[in-house]
Amino acid sequence: MSDITDAPATADATEVRAWLRECVATYVRLPAEDIDENLPLSEYGLDSVYVLSLCADIEDRYGIEVEPTLLWDHPAIGPISEALAPLLAAR
Amino acid sequence: MSADVPEWPTGLAAALADAMAAGAAAGGAFSTARSAALDAAEAFPGEECDLLDASGLARAYVPERLGGVAGGLPELLSALREVARRDVTVAVAHGKTFLGSVSTWVAGTEDQQRALARLVTDENAVVAWGLTERGMGSDLLAGNLTATPEPDGTWRITGEKWPINNATRGRLICVLARTDPAGGPRGFSLFLIDKSALPEGAWEPLPKEPTHGIRGADISGLRLRDAPVPADALVGGVGDGLGIVLRALQLTRTLCAALSLGAGEHALRLVADFAVERALHGTRLALLPLARRVLGRAAASLALADAAALLGGRSAHGLPGEMSAVSATVKAGVPWIVQQAIDDLAELLGARGFLTEQHADGMFQKLERDHRIVAVFDGSTAVNRSLLISQFPLLARLIRKGSYDATGLAAVTGGAPLPELDPAALRLVSRTGCSIVQAVPDTAERITALAAAGELPPRAAELAALLAERTGALADAMAELPPTGRNAPAAAFAVARQFEACFAGAAALHLLAVPCAADRAVVLTAALERCLELLVPGHQAPSDAFEPLVTPLVQPVEEPVR
Repeated sequence: MSDITDAPATADATEVRAWLRECVATYVRLPAEDIDENLPLSEYGLDSVYVLSLCADIEDRYGIEVEPTLLWDHPAIGPISEALAPLLAAR
Repeated sequence: MSADVPEWPTGLAAALADAMAAGAAAGGAFSTARSAALDAAEAFPGEECDLLDASGLARAYVPERLGGVAGGLPELLSALREVARRDVTVAVAHGKTFLGSVSTWVAGTEDQQRALARLVTDENAVVAWGLTERGMGSDLLAGNLTATPEPDGTWRITGEKWPINNATRGRLICVLARTDPAGGPRGFSLFLIDKSALPEGAWEPLPKEPTHGIRGADISGLRLRDAPVPADALVGGVGDGLGIVLRALQLTRTLCAALSLGAGEHALRLVADFAVERALHGTRLALLPLARRVLGRAAASLALADAAALLGGRSAHGLPGEMSAVSATVKAGVPWIVQQAIDDLAELLGARGFLTEQHADGMFQKLERDHRIVAVFDGSTAVNRSLLISQFPLLARLIRKGSYDATGLAAVTGGAPLPELDPAALRLVSRTGCSIVQAVPDTAERITALAAAGELPPRAAELAALLAERTGALADAMAELPPTGRNAPAAAFAVARQFEACFAGAAALHLLAVPCAADRAVVLTAALERCLELLVPGHQAPSDAFEPLVTPLVQPVEEPVR
């Protein structure tokens, strides 16, 4: 995905949201500013199986364990970021 | 020493082999004449399945703690492969019960698991797995078969599943049903339906579909009409269907390797026997260098596929969290490697490879047709390669880091008893990548040291170094691909094939690094040589690279009497 492999020292929902936007933009080859945070990722062609690889990216970047179904229960960037916030805070 | 070597369990497979040989010798079940006649008539191999029932194969479909056999997934792989060596159609027809049951082992309650285990082990109940529907392709979320809750907690199910192996013969069928009209990843649930408990008119079978291979198998369908289903038929929670199916597929996809390996070994045996019999140019085919090269290369391909399947099966126990990567790799890679061996062997057999009544009752052309279906089952090769490609970004990063789960890998590649399979530890996506591939550079160093100490042939060290180099190049190729959400480019599929070959070679490499008998080291070295042929265009294997594998295949062979 990106060459950044070290988790940022602090991360909140805002940071995660911006990073996820870039991730999704890379996946779907659109400018980050064109990614709508409230549009389901499936609308961008990230289907229910492909979205799981995003989970692996999140775990790798932030060093947290994320239940992959979180991305099914929260299908857009905004809700995903909110759901990740407590996991990040508990690091 | 041999206690340290991971081996295939052989207990159940040996019992099956004896029972099948006895049936064949008597001209009954598993005789080639009968296999050919059933295939020609598109008739179900009922006596063969009865014989397997009597030999206890069903116990391999059930976890040990519920009364199943002890060896877990490797034991099942070994047993089903033994059946596939005789007849892939029978292995497909019988093995389906594992596929129908596995969702219950992954997500069922204790009561559900006990009840199903009893039906499978005590009554040899046939269990089908209904995922696909007409017109939905491989998209698990396109199904329209719908389950609607009743006020009393029971369900009503309406719709069709097709084409489904054993849909008609099966007493039970585990179906993926839409439980949210809007669908989506949380819109489907699994139900284990007992057809024998449904009222008249609630279900009907859809006709058997004629098929190119596995012609005798019950490939049919099921239509449910407002079928009343009890509350405890629901496996897992409402909306959990997709997650359970994806984890269950991690086990069944790995198991598909058994069908490929059995078919490949059957092909090799048939062609080796032919080469020994066949007199030409005043000698025997088996004595001609070209024929020996083909036989040896096919044997090396099978040894390579065997290593991938062995460590793949063991990974379900020792590296369960990585099965999303391992199972897709094994499911795409093993049939691909074996199909090449079968194609090469077919050339050696010439016209006899196509004749349905010559040379062993036309068994070659049958297994050749039967094997093609393995690449389609449980997600086609393209589906599995897509799954693998979706994991490339993390896999590439972890190969480059050289990090892996050393404890898990030691459980998979060591000789200590495997931990029992824990379905709860299967993850939808691997967090630690694919340790078997990521550990290649470290294991290659161990091989170099072993070769320097005279414990392995020098060629093993050369091949290990080459594989380590190719693994690094593979990570680069994976990282250079643009990430894709779906519809991966053709170039990505070529890289996926390389990953599969690399995984198989890595498996052979890890097996070489544990102390093993000299003849095993020779076979594994030949497997590595074959892996490098697949990975590196123009790789020149030494002219005698596969010869050690030929001699045991074609003994004894004498020049014909003139």
